Amino acid sequence: MTQFKQNVKRDLNDPQLRDNFRGAMDYLMDKRQAAFTDEDEWTILREQCKRIKQRCLLKLPQLLEQLEENLQRNGIKVHWAQTTEQANEIIAGLIAKAGGKTVVKGKSMVSEEVALNDHLEQQGVECLETDMGEYIVQLAKEHPSHIIMPAIHQNKSQIGKLFAQHIDGFDYSTDVDTLIKAGRNVLRDKFCQADVGITGVNFAVAETGTLCLVENEGNGRMCSTVPDLHIAITGIEKVVETLNDVPPLLSLLTRSATGQAISTYFNMITRPRQPGEKDGPKAVHLVLLDNGRSQAFADEELRQTLQCIRCGACMNHCPVYTRIGGHAYGTVYPGPIGKIISPHLLGLQATKDLPTASSLCGACEEVCPVGIPIPKLLLRLRKESVQPRADVPQTVQGQGAGRKPIEAWVWTLWALVHKSPRLYRLSTKLLTRLSWLMPKKLGPWTVARTAPKLAAKTLHELIDEREKQGKNK
Amino acid sequence: MTNLSARNNILAKLKRQVAGTDYNNLPKESGFDYPKLSHQQQLEQFVAHLQNNHAQVIKTSRAQIAEVVGRELKSLNIDKLLYGKNSQYSEEIEALPTADMKCRVILQPFDFVVEGEAKQNLFDNTPAAITGSHSAIAATGTIVLWPTVDEPRTLSLVPPVHFVIVDANQLYADFTTLINEQQWHNKMPTNILLISGPSKTADIQQTLAYGAHGPKKLVVLLLDC
Repeated sequence: MTQFKQNVKRDLNDPQLRDNFRGAMDYLMDKRQAAFTDEDEWTILREQCKRIKQRCLLKLPQLLEQLEENLQRNGIKVHWAQTTEQANEIIAGLIAKAGGKTVVKGKSMVSEEVALNDHLEQQGVECLETDMGEYIVQLAKEHPSHIIMPAIHQNKSQIGKLFAQHIDGFDYSTDVDTLIKAGRNVLRDKFCQADVGITGVNFAVAETGTLCLVENEGNGRMCSTVPDLHIAITGIEKVVETLNDVPPLLSLLTRSATGQAISTYFNMITRPRQPGEKDGPKAVHLVLLDNGRSQAFADEELRQTLQCIRCGACMNHCPVYTRIGGHAYGTVYPGPIGKIISPHLLGLQATKDLPTASSLCGACEEVCPVGIPIPKLLLRLRKESVQPRADVPQTVQGQGAGRKPIEAWVWTLWALVHKSPRLYRLSTKLLTRLSWLMPKKLGPWTVARTAPKLAAKTLHELIDEREKQGKNK
Repeated sequence: MTNLSARNNILAKLKRQVAGTDYNNLPKESGFDYPKLSHQQQLEQFVAHLQNNHAQVIKTSRAQIAEVVGRELKSLNIDKLLYGKNSQYSEEIEALPTADMKCRVILQPFDFVVEGEAKQNLFDNTPAAITGSHSAIAATGTIVLWPTVDEPRTLSLVPPVHFVIVDANQLYADFTTLINEQQWHNKMPTNILLISGPSKTADIQQTLAYGAHGPKKLVVLLLDC
């Protein structure tokens, strides 16, 4: 059994986990629905945002250059990383150069993608997650199970126990205000003391050289304002062309994610601290990460994956995600978006099961604010995963990793039979006549179902008979 | 330098894919036409959103700032307020201690650089702060701050209670309108901040809690409405 299937089995058998996810997904689906009451508005806004992202992708190399130029002019240094290792080295280097020992982190999925915390801890740098959900996940030595609500797999009594275990002087409680207050107190000291703040980026505006951060808690503001050094890390696809591109995308992002008309804070950072200013980081850096994104970019169909604005609506509405939870996927990005982006980040060798973990119900595409045709891309990746390895072009790294010789042979035979009327008739006749040979147990199919029964005669034979009867009448 | 080669490799890979693209024939991007609201309706929308997001909104006038803030501070049992000297409303704020009230408020000007002891003090001993605002957005109940030398970024972030003064004449229908009418493109400051309520989180079992890391309480003084 593959690792993924083992994970699925493990998590499906955890009633507490399933309860936590069911509750959370129902909540998020209701929230989103309440935020889109005007069907026309949703349709038009979504089409607009899809086109904005598609335009920005078509112009991606120019926009990245423009972004770099404007950021540098504003005093923000830009670094490029093709791989996760490069990104980690750049960031560790910047921290070492500044003599940094403690880092506070705002929520960033890209930093999870490069496993930044592990890397920095190896270098002796203390790295503290400050988003409440991320903080909980870090205390539990876990990874986020949702891109917007990282600790969604835990309930308040689990978190109460966790806090009682790890926070000095905290007595077990399930009162959410008490829990948040405890987290606030611990992290407040850290904000005050940290040398470095690390955050992600929701939109990087090429026109003005501005980094935009969406958040509710204020920890992103803390991380990007209080420490002397602010390092932002993001994927190359997060660049937008103009300031005018931001409002519609922001509106769809927060409404799709949590049903909010706008997040509590929207933070637009254009410069480090200027002479005379009393706060703000003295230096700001941006790390732009590729890590497989340019591979997705190289194929017009797969490029649509990069339209994603990371709202998480696809996972909230996914019947598979709701049941197996975020950890079963074994990848940083879970759910439908994870299934279509992870093969580019990690290669199909490591992710060949993911495109098959879908019923193709289409809910993800229906709620996607930028209209990514996720089911279509899943089918495409299924195809790539069984494509002969030697086939050119090599669109996705690890192409053919899911190919099984027997399966390939069966389909070659199937094609042969279906191309020849004679062979077809012969095979269906044989199948109906030899149906008694069919085993009662057909693998996973008969775990919860009875085996299908083949008809005694083929459809062709039945029609022939009916036609004869008709003529006789 | 790996950095430079990484840059060139990434850009070369991307450029190869979109070389020769005709950028004149991109599909038209039309936005949704939102119903035009009167100023009064926009004000109602603004207040409703803010209240919905747990902010306290007090309609008042410039002349009454000191009185209103004094009253609220008293009810919150707070006797210290951090503010920006020489800021838009500093004169009104400075009238606070002498205003005809029974409470005594210590006004603390933000006249320090955020470092060392001053930083620790800002985090530990600053129960409340007051700032002006740059503009506001009706559609989402949002207050826009352009922090300045007098009213720095941490002034609206670190103290647990944030009083913010909003001029109703600076209310715009939506974010797009605001950006375009004020031509933000050519004059982005160090930092712009959109605030739409007190700090909050629903990270623990989808239960809303206020005061995650930013201010627990946001009090909006809405002038001239």
